[in-house]
Amino acid sequence: MDAPIVNESSFSAANPSAYSLAEIWPPSGDPGIVGSGGPRAGNLDGSAEESTVTEQSGSGRKRKDANSEDESSKRVSSSCVLGSDLNNSNGAKRTKIAGSRDENGGSKVEVEANSVACNKLSAEQSAKPSEPPKQDYIHVRARRGQATDNHSLAERARREKISERMKTLQDLVPGCNKIIGKALVLDEIINYIQSLQHQVEFLSMKLEAVNSRMDMSPALDGFVAKDLMSQPFDGTGMMFASQAARDYMQGSQAQPDWLHMQTGGGFKRET
Amino acid sequence: MAPEDPVTVSPPPPPPPPTPSLKTKIARRFVKSLAEVWTSRKLATEGGVRKRARRIKIAAYSSMARAVGGSRRAWSRALLAKLQGRAKRRCHLRSQRCLGLKRKRAGSRNMVRNEVSGSDKLRRLVPGGKAMDLCNLLEETSHFVQCLATQVKVMQSIADRYSV
Repeated sequence: MDAPIVNESSFSAANPSAYSLAEIWPPSGDPGIVGSGGPRAGNLDGSAEESTVTEQSGSGRKRKDANSEDESSKRVSSSCVLGSDLNNSNGAKRTKIAGSRDENGGSKVEVEANSVACNKLSAEQSAKPSEPPKQDYIHVRARRGQATDNHSLAERARREKISERMKTLQDLVPGCNKIIGKALVLDEIINYIQSLQHQVEFLSMKLEAVNSRMDMSPALDGFVAKDLMSQPFDGTGMMFASQAARDYMQGSQAQPDWLHMQTGGGFKRET
Repeated sequence: MAPEDPVTVSPPPPPPPPTPSLKTKIARRFVKSLAEVWTSRKLATEGGVRKRARRIKIAAYSSMARAVGGSRRAWSRALLAKLQGRAKRRCHLRSQRCLGLKRKRAGSRNMVRNEVSGSDKLRRLVPGGKAMDLCNLLEETSHFVQCLATQVKVMQSIADRYSV
């Protein structure tokens, strides 16, 4: 799927002059997302203004499944590239915001926010004359039947952020992908954190038992030394002499970089 | 593997990783503090099992918080503050045998139990979560979960290594 393009054929949009989306997404967050659609705007309106468009995989878009979050930067660049082609391939599927602007020829400026729906937009923000790209306004298309005042917009942006973070959390917690519903996911996360904390407690007791059972200080120094060296053992790095440490070393030659193992539970037993 | 000439040819040392991974950082710090706990004779014998285990647990949490850069994350700051506060209070208690401070924790625990909701529970679990809005809370939670899982893995590996 190449195009991040919006399939808006019924945009009641206007000529783009300049629009930016700097406020919704903090600049440090997704640098790849904000792209410049300069050529696009230029082609359509005949003006050479710079315009920045953010292309997101909007939640209401048809193309959402096709796009993945990670390719946002790619999408932006490809969108810029395609900008010049847009006028040519003006099928309903490939019409961009700019394309639809052609139809109306107003003097409004729109920016598509994340939650903008595909069809039948109902409201738009105030127009803006041509200005430098860095704006402090965010012009957002609203869904049909949804309010467009500032509070709801801010609310919506905030909710988007929250759901995005919930998604990352879902990826972290194993087994959370299948659960649907914010409350259940939260419960799952809470259970996971609690189980991790119990595990820490249990393991600390176990380590304490290990300590009281055998006097491991020399070996642990070797452990630390190996750790700090963080190089594969080859027998010449021996700086400890206790039996356990020697066992560890011999066993670890097969797998010297145990620290870099990805699977936590796959630690090989050496003896 | 082809036999190498020990004198002339030796494989070039692998370049050090650009930044140590989270697991490495946590492992190093934890092992150091664990060695410290283990080798301190005074601590090794005193107290009961629980006290010694708690010391290790505290070492685990503090090493985890330090490994991510003590003040870079809100949760690590809060965690370190909590641990230091508790350490101070414990010394205080020991020196003065004052029971007045102990009731503070019990009271607050009873109070909250009735009005618990999803995000409240999460706020209690994540250090420093009480004073954050939901958005930041979720971000801190994800980082915290990551580090906690790594810490558990490290501890598990060490325990496996040294246990029978």
